[in-house]
Amino acid sequence: MPEMTLVAEPGRTIGTRPARRLRAEGKIPGIVYGHGADPVPVAVVAREFRAAMSGEAGLNTLLSLDIGGKSFLALARDIQRHPVKGVVTHVDFQIVSRDEVIAAEVSIVLVGEPVEVHHGDGVVEQQLFTLPIKAVPSAIPSALELDISGLVIGGSLKVSDIPLPKGAEIDIDPDTFVVTGLPPRVGTTEEETAAVEAASAPADEG
Amino acid sequence: MLMPRKVKHRKQQRGRMSGVAKGGTAVSFGDFGIQALEPGWLTARQIEASRIAMTRHVKRGGKVWIRVFPDRPVTQKPAETRMGSGKGNPEHWVAVVKPGRILFELAGVEEQLAREAMERAIQKLPFKAKFVVRPGTHGAPEVLV
Repeated sequence: MPEMTLVAEPGRTIGTRPARRLRAEGKIPGIVYGHGADPVPVAVVAREFRAAMSGEAGLNTLLSLDIGGKSFLALARDIQRHPVKGVVTHVDFQIVSRDEVIAAEVSIVLVGEPVEVHHGDGVVEQQLFTLPIKAVPSAIPSALELDISGLVIGGSLKVSDIPLPKGAEIDIDPDTFVVTGLPPRVGTTEEETAAVEAASAPADEG
Repeated sequence: MLMPRKVKHRKQQRGRMSGVAKGGTAVSFGDFGIQALEPGWLTARQIEASRIAMTRHVKRGGKVWIRVFPDRPVTQKPAETRMGSGKGNPEHWVAVVKPGRILFELAGVEEQLAREAMERAIQKLPFKAKFVVRPGTHGAPEVLV
């Protein structure tokens, strides 16, 4: 996994108002913790952070965090976003070491054309979008690919069908469904509406 | 239309709608969603109208999730009634929506079709809303600044 360098300024003042001032300056308040060290409040430049996270590895990019001249290997863990604007409002950096097994969420990418499902006017429903895995930082893949070309209507693919890279272990039940081939909708919208109206009765108190 | 099966109290006070949504702000089930940009009361009738507008445009395929539920009763006094004599009768049901809340989700269709269908659904809503894509998919960035 490629490593990105990110400069984090230590010594920011904690609190709501200083954090808002930082955001107005184009910076993101954050915290660095891990490996028994005391948590350090930091600030990173928002544009640099986006550039670092927009690489091949996405949110699991290994960061070389430069804090006041010292370099730490870290991962961006909890990224808080504004509910409407979607911009990052806070980020947690966890210090990791190269030989330590860590947990990470890796996105699942569906590849291939589910011909049988499409011929039958069915829908491919993805139930699991990320897979929790355990691996050393360098073995965490950017994404996991699942071939759905063999998917049929009524059929499904499980976590155990996802090929894992060497050195990575899944941290979830292997029988968990990832994708399902759903049959086409049988009723027209008018029929559905009538069915919903018939099912809804006035609410009772008590 | 959506409504609770049983409620503890038939009538409620109106409450306030300040601030932004605390939860339900991310596309969690499908690939695309409608996100509210303003606060408001969304009636069961409006939810149903939006759903129908969306499913009719998609025609075949696709799966729709409704992420809000109208669980708040709204009362109304009958027309030409003098003031007083207590609170009116429960007339309809609404969901309280705050900015950022995902209202509907859609999966199993192309982005262009989903966008068109959801634009039609947005026309049925009583407040501003926008079409959103799950971050990291369909070219949407993971991180916005």
